[in-house]
Amino acid sequence: MRNEFRALAELRGRLLWRRFTARGGIAEGVASVVLLVIAVPVGLAFAVAIGFGAFQAVRAAGGLRTDVGASAIFFGIWQTWTAVSLTLNDRDGLDLRRFLVFPIRPARVYAMGLLTGLLGDPVGLVWGAMLGGVFVGAAIARPGAWLAVLLVVLIAFAVATVVLIALIQEVLAAVLSTRRMREWAMIGSVGVSVGFLVLLLWSADRPVRAASDAIPVLRIIQWFAWPGAFPAAAARELFAGRVAASLPWIAGLLLATAITGWLAFRIALAQARGAGSSGEGSVGRPGEVGLGLRGGRFGALLEKEARYLYRQPLARVDALLAPVLMAFVAMKVEPRIPAEAGEVVRALPLFGAAVYCHLLLQAFWLNAFGWERGGARALFLAPLDLTAVLRAKGLVLYAYSLVLFLVSAAVMAAVGKGMAPPWAFAAALVLHAAMAPWLFASGNVVSILRPKAASFAIQRNSALSTFSGLIGMGIVSAAMGAFALPAFLALRMESPAILVGGWVVLGIAGALVLRGVLPREARLLADRREEFLPAVCGDDA
Amino acid sequence: MSDSPERLAVETRGLTRLFDGKPAVSSLDLRVPAGAFYGFLGPNGAGKSTTMKMLTGLLRPSGGEARVLGADLSRDGFEVRGRIGVVPDGLALFERLSGAEMLRIQGQLYGLDRKVAALRAGELLEAMELSAEGGKLVQDYSHGMKKKLALACALIHGPELLFLDEPFEGIDAVAVSGIRRMLQDLVARRALTIFLTSHVLEVVERLVTHVGIIHHGRLIAQGSLAEVRATGSLEETFIRLVGEERPAGTGLSWLGPREVGA
Repeated sequence: MRNEFRALAELRGRLLWRRFTARGGIAEGVASVVLLVIAVPVGLAFAVAIGFGAFQAVRAAGGLRTDVGASAIFFGIWQTWTAVSLTLNDRDGLDLRRFLVFPIRPARVYAMGLLTGLLGDPVGLVWGAMLGGVFVGAAIARPGAWLAVLLVVLIAFAVATVVLIALIQEVLAAVLSTRRMREWAMIGSVGVSVGFLVLLLWSADRPVRAASDAIPVLRIIQWFAWPGAFPAAAARELFAGRVAASLPWIAGLLLATAITGWLAFRIALAQARGAGSSGEGSVGRPGEVGLGLRGGRFGALLEKEARYLYRQPLARVDALLAPVLMAFVAMKVEPRIPAEAGEVVRALPLFGAAVYCHLLLQAFWLNAFGWERGGARALFLAPLDLTAVLRAKGLVLYAYSLVLFLVSAAVMAAVGKGMAPPWAFAAALVLHAAMAPWLFASGNVVSILRPKAASFAIQRNSALSTFSGLIGMGIVSAAMGAFALPAFLALRMESPAILVGGWVVLGIAGALVLRGVLPREARLLADRREEFLPAVCGDDA
Repeated sequence: MSDSPERLAVETRGLTRLFDGKPAVSSLDLRVPAGAFYGFLGPNGAGKSTTMKMLTGLLRPSGGEARVLGADLSRDGFEVRGRIGVVPDGLALFERLSGAEMLRIQGQLYGLDRKVAALRAGELLEAMELSAEGGKLVQDYSHGMKKKLALACALIHGPELLFLDEPFEGIDAVAVSGIRRMLQDLVARRALTIFLTSHVLEVVERLVTHVGIIHHGRLIAQGSLAEVRATGSLEETFIRLVGEERPAGTGLSWLGPREVGA
């Protein structure tokens, strides 16, 4: 058992190490350290805040403050942990198929996978810090033997959370076994979440029902989130000094964890043993014409890019996200801009939408070849000018971004109360067009130097390396800084003409830069094909 | 470069490729006659795929010269690309296109008119017995279907020379048989030259007219099938040339029958 665990832990450790020592790994390592430097203080700050909450809840020793404190701690951590894990985790560590050939009981492999996943996940350290904060806060408030029981609750809570996340992932993988269903389910869930959020924010300034009215409902609902509910109930008793009363809740937590873990394992095992075809339907008739992008190599490239983007779940989610968020901005932000603020200020939300539509598609201009996989070889085998390949990618992406912006602007106009002046729409179009060449010109360099084989999923983190993400932040910040200058000047001089003129100049300069730079980028791509292809095709994954 | 009257589809001299200073392919002198079905054989890691990648432009040679269809690869590589078809190791398919879309777009990328490309795509899908799956995304194809589609993609522009890297690897006997028949037919019609790497010797022996054997990055035999295999089978010749030097039965003494529960 110990040998098996050690081997599995070593495997995960080595894979992590290889990621940093592989080609380009040093940059990835530096980027990860930068993120960790940001994440650790944030995690510690949360730990201190949660620890203080636990301290107060224990000191109150019962009553509303204890009840609310215990619930807030466990439901809060559970909700964030689950959301982050479902977004970030790619289930790699839980893939039983890889381990079925070894003479180890699958259940043990699965349990070890969960455990090493829990201990080896850097993000998991943040949750660990928070739970540590709860323990320390409670210990300072009331030292004693009861802390041993609290420790059991905290550990069981962590295991329960991980196990339920695993079950959700297994069920999703099993039920949504066809790609199309999976994509639509993901888009649907994002849509429901966004819709719920908008509804919540919409009703924020309307009379809210008294909290007491909602409590009975919440009490029933909470059991759907049992990894938070059981420990919260146990902690309420423990904080109030009733150790014996906490025991049934702890037993319930352990039992539910065991049942959930068993279910997750059985589904995973059935999936691993019965991995079959995905059973996809057709996307069209053989030889269909479609799209209307006719003739020539460049037309074929445009068509290929358009079809790829259209079939990309992340792009579909963006199409859903942009108008919804912009509707929210129009409903909530625009009416709050005073009329006397001036036309330029009133137009800012629309300008924000123009920029945001580029930001949403960041993964596509920072990792332009990430979804080509083996197809990338075809671009080098065919007698193609790689400049045309880059140009086609940029054009299709710009067109898609423009559609997003037009739809968003239309939604903003429809629901907004403090509508932007008409000239602002033209200015926003100029801003959108002017920013594109700068972003694409620099994004191409990142795409060529830091390619990553991306999965067709909606998780943005799977589409970009940490390093590319950081560089992207730099590019966007620089572009926004440059395009903000005319806006500042226009605000100061109260002249929209300066704003539009400045952006036109920046746009022309960007177009010239892109034109000059594209052939060089194409040469760079051709020169780097030996490093580029394994990274894009996933051969070095 | 050639000093013989024989027309050569591929000719290399001193072709070398180093990885981290170590030779993966060393001073390779290949001669592939035009119209031949050339089997490029070797054990795993011998340098077959590296050679093919150099000949198709995916890898840059560290040294030596290569001429493909009479053109100098280092100078006229772009022009050569339009005249060859390639099924590389790992394939070169855009998996989010349907099979029919993939074929037509591939044809257009090689300069075919859209209508011609669509017409040929239909014919190739039929020839590969993929017509019913033409509307399905490539991603959802089985491995054998992907190999057949990749072969169709390599053929759609009517190449003069076809490079196939391990076309029979990972596919079932039925698919192997289908592909084999098609390749035999193409060569019988003198439609094109085929350069194929493989380590499935029985299949290769039934297909090829010429053979080259590479071992540790060096060409150790080359010529017509009859010349290379002489009196034995291709497999016997291959094993004699690249076979294990360690005598059987040495080492691994702990392997063997053991009692249950031991």
